[in-house]
Amino acid sequence: MRIHYDWRLARVIDSEAAVVDEIAWSSKRSLGALADRLHDLQSGRMSPEARALSERFPEAVADAMGAMSDPDWPELDEDEQKLLSEASTRLAKRGVADAAGDFDRRLDMLSSATTELRASWTTNEARCVEWAGLFLAEVDLDGQRRVIPAAVAGADSMDSAATALGVSAPKHQPGETEWIALNAHASGVVALGERLRSTEEATRELARQYVPTLSLLLGPLGAARLVVLAGGRERLARMPSGSLQVLGASGAMAAHRRGAPPPKHSPVLFSLPQVSRSPRWVRGKIARFLAGKASIAVRMDHFDGEPWDEERIAEINQECENIRARFPKPPKRR
Amino acid sequence: MPRKPLKLAWGVRREGRSLWTRNAVRGVSVRGERRKTDSRIEWRAWDPTRSKVAAALLRTTGDPSKLLPQTGATVLYLGASYGSTCSHIHDQTCGAQNHHGGQVVAVEISPRAVRDLSELASLRPGLVPVLGDARQASQVAPYIRSQADWLHQDLSIADQAETFVRMAGEFLRPGGAGLLSLKAASERSSDGDDASRFAKAERILQDSDLELLERIEISQLEEQHVVFHVRKTDHSAQFTQTNAE
Repeated sequence: MRIHYDWRLARVIDSEAAVVDEIAWSSKRSLGALADRLHDLQSGRMSPEARALSERFPEAVADAMGAMSDPDWPELDEDEQKLLSEASTRLAKRGVADAAGDFDRRLDMLSSATTELRASWTTNEARCVEWAGLFLAEVDLDGQRRVIPAAVAGADSMDSAATALGVSAPKHQPGETEWIALNAHASGVVALGERLRSTEEATRELARQYVPTLSLLLGPLGAARLVVLAGGRERLARMPSGSLQVLGASGAMAAHRRGAPPPKHSPVLFSLPQVSRSPRWVRGKIARFLAGKASIAVRMDHFDGEPWDEERIAEINQECENIRARFPKPPKRR
Repeated sequence: MPRKPLKLAWGVRREGRSLWTRNAVRGVSVRGERRKTDSRIEWRAWDPTRSKVAAALLRTTGDPSKLLPQTGATVLYLGASYGSTCSHIHDQTCGAQNHHGGQVVAVEISPRAVRDLSELASLRPGLVPVLGDARQASQVAPYIRSQADWLHQDLSIADQAETFVRMAGEFLRPGGAGLLSLKAASERSSDGDDASRFAKAERILQDSDLELLERIEISQLEEQHVVFHVRKTDHSAQFTQTNAE
């Protein structure tokens, strides 16, 4: 015996395809109630009617796909079709709203915004410094770099910017509209820096909460990048460390498929001081080691393991040192 | 001189190299496509470079009307994305205010795409948006009213052909038509180059219960894609056999 069911009806059917018993959804059919039902069915639960039947007939096997191919299954009438259509639209909208509860998506927005802001801040800041430096020939473009945008943004003329930076007035003055543009550009750089700081701070906070162990090991921003590149924490946790190691090195990976040597590390891992400050010949070894540790760390975070403490992280960093100490010299060329 | 339009189905016609569907929502374009009115009927341009179904209609060597669902049909669309192709299929199967009584179940996993899809559905009765995994039959089954007359799968995942065969086995009615838009770039790189990935998918379809009618090359309209046109044989499903007895 089998139980066939959909959202409005459940039937017990014997081996001769005869209907032994049936229960229909009899209470008031509202949009919200149907949306709830559809949600339950989609998550693999039985309808209340099917559950009642399976208590009545414990030997009957419930078949979620049964109603689909049952030739005697009653068709939906026009009202039912309309109700189904509206309820599924409502459920879809509910699902769209629920997407914001997904930390993977939140971290994606934050981490991507950080990357984009960092890129545009770098470009704009460099332009601003060069632009102001063109007029203010005496400004130390390296030593005073950090204060130039703020000084130009806060000044009302090129002369007052020069005073603020403690240098003599420029030989050539910008035109009136030119100054307005330069001043606005500098204000933009200052504002962009603010935005970058707050976005990074928010990213760090979410990463520390969502992937605490990985954040401790790789830094919260790097951890966030890895999660985003993998397409979610779950996917990162299920990834072998060899894949994790080259996450983000997509260009090098594509070249590898065409015969180039495999990438040793990704931009994410490479930006870690343990890798980037090591001599060239041990970077691959350290990247492999760290990738292995990182893949364990993210599994701790995802599968509710106990987060590692500072002590454990210090041990791992010590191990990086040991690897470096074991290979003090570059390998001999053959 | 204007070309004489060729009628492919109730709501689809071809004029030279362009395709048009009978707009179910007058005055509204889904993705800014062209509209035109011809003797009080509004037609909406169906861009073959953006829709693999439209590309297949232009490139098939057989009868293009065989690739389309009938009016009033039950349609399952796996991987509906933002719903532009879906809207044209809806034009044909449901018509304005669903006066044909069709059902187009559009399954999509991305909430961002489903957001647009449910906007579309609120204007187009008969279109059922589903936020779910198109590879899992149990996630689709609650929404579809009966077995589908027409099935289209357009997913960017590995094992597209296996998924298609499995889903067609569950949902396509005997005699129903199916289109598989196969994206080579989504298959595993260990399967070799594009040509061998297409060949592998073709083999999987040939070995299945489905009858492979045509492999439609749509290069130039959509790169790295091939559309397979299949039919489910009348006797391949179990219950029709028991019915006949």
